[in-house]
Amino acid sequence: MQSSSFLTISDLWIERGERDLCKSLSFDVQSGDVLRILGENGTGKSSLLKVVAGILSPLEGDIFYKGQEVTEKRQILQENTLYLGHSAGVKKALTVEENLRWYCPTSSSNELHSALNTLGLLAFSDSFVSTLSAGQTKRVALSRLWLSKQKLWLLDEPFASLDTEGASILEKRIAQHTALGGAVMLTTHQDLLSLQSRDICLPI
Amino acid sequence: MTYLSFIKAEVLVLWRRKQNVFNALLFFLMVVILFPLGVNPSAEFLAPAADGIVWCATLLAVLMATESMFKEDYADGSLEQLIISGLSLPLLMLLKTTAQWLVVLLPLLLMMPLLAEMLYLPDGSFWVLIATLVIGSPSLFLIGAIGAALTVSLKQGAILVMLLILPFYLPVIIFATSAVRAAQLGLPYLGLLAILLAIFLLSLVIAPFMIAIAIKASTN
Repeated sequence: MQSSSFLTISDLWIERGERDLCKSLSFDVQSGDVLRILGENGTGKSSLLKVVAGILSPLEGDIFYKGQEVTEKRQILQENTLYLGHSAGVKKALTVEENLRWYCPTSSSNELHSALNTLGLLAFSDSFVSTLSAGQTKRVALSRLWLSKQKLWLLDEPFASLDTEGASILEKRIAQHTALGGAVMLTTHQDLLSLQSRDICLPI
Repeated sequence: MTYLSFIKAEVLVLWRRKQNVFNALLFFLMVVILFPLGVNPSAEFLAPAADGIVWCATLLAVLMATESMFKEDYADGSLEQLIISGLSLPLLMLLKTTAQWLVVLLPLLLMMPLLAEMLYLPDGSFWVLIATLVIGSPSLFLIGAIGAALTVSLKQGAILVMLLILPFYLPVIIFATSAVRAAQLGLPYLGLLAILLAIFLLSLVIAPFMIAIAIKASTN
């Protein structure tokens, strides 16, 4: 059952502001997949991720998680999903460590420190996020990938505002995650350097 | 994310952003202090008007405090994270509103003995005023949070919130001040407090779901 289909999207129709973004879109996500969503600006890459995450509702179509329909009742899918959107979901009034404690209260401080160390944030763990740069804030949001146990990652432009070193750390982490049976859907305009990905191209 | 870690983060943020709460309280204090100076500082005028002044000031302070309660969460993307956290969104919203209520109401109650003296509030009605504030203000916060959630995605939502919310505030302020007045006249006031309590319970049951629906619509 390892490579069985994990998430199935069938016949998805997404509309925003009277405009069809995609119609009868169907695809499977297998465990171990890195699925890259391609498309020009405004074709609905972010909306597709938001629909899968459950922030937007599709006009029509179904989403199945491990064979169960979850289009309406999202809870099982949401417990196994980690979504990082354009705005990172990091609170400026909290320190880096407090932000991570908020999202991942079950992680031990060892895990937390090693995650921060990997991303080069250890020195900043007690600084307020409002004092960090855009790239560092992005790294704070991404450090959840080292701490959470969710199987499915939905990453909206994860490489945006990261430097090359950060991008390669992130690619390594994605490779590690998929090797352990996780799945990743991401949107990016960059080429992935070390990762093998399946591409889905959204029509204009 | 768990409910506990959410409430911890919420309280921390409220503490770090105490300026917002402080502003609302300062506004409350200014209305209560300036009103007698502007109209009439005599005991004969203030004693019957005291409860009305306190309640109007409370209502405006609550509007100020709730209006922006989701703004920052919306801007930094944490609202989206709350929606997809797999936790019950209405319950999260109830916790958030409760935290907000506590940090505004507790200092307000602490100021109340002094303000009651300043406004020549008749002795017998002080505790009734406190009771109306404790029972009545949660409704203000719960209803105000619905308005804040509805307008969170708008740039200039403040006036719209007031227009949307104010009609629902009217019963609360009417019954609250009637209860204090009844106490001053020696009439039974428990029935009026019971109506306030009923409004509170009704908003407690309905508002969290309305807030959650409004949040989902706003992030859409």
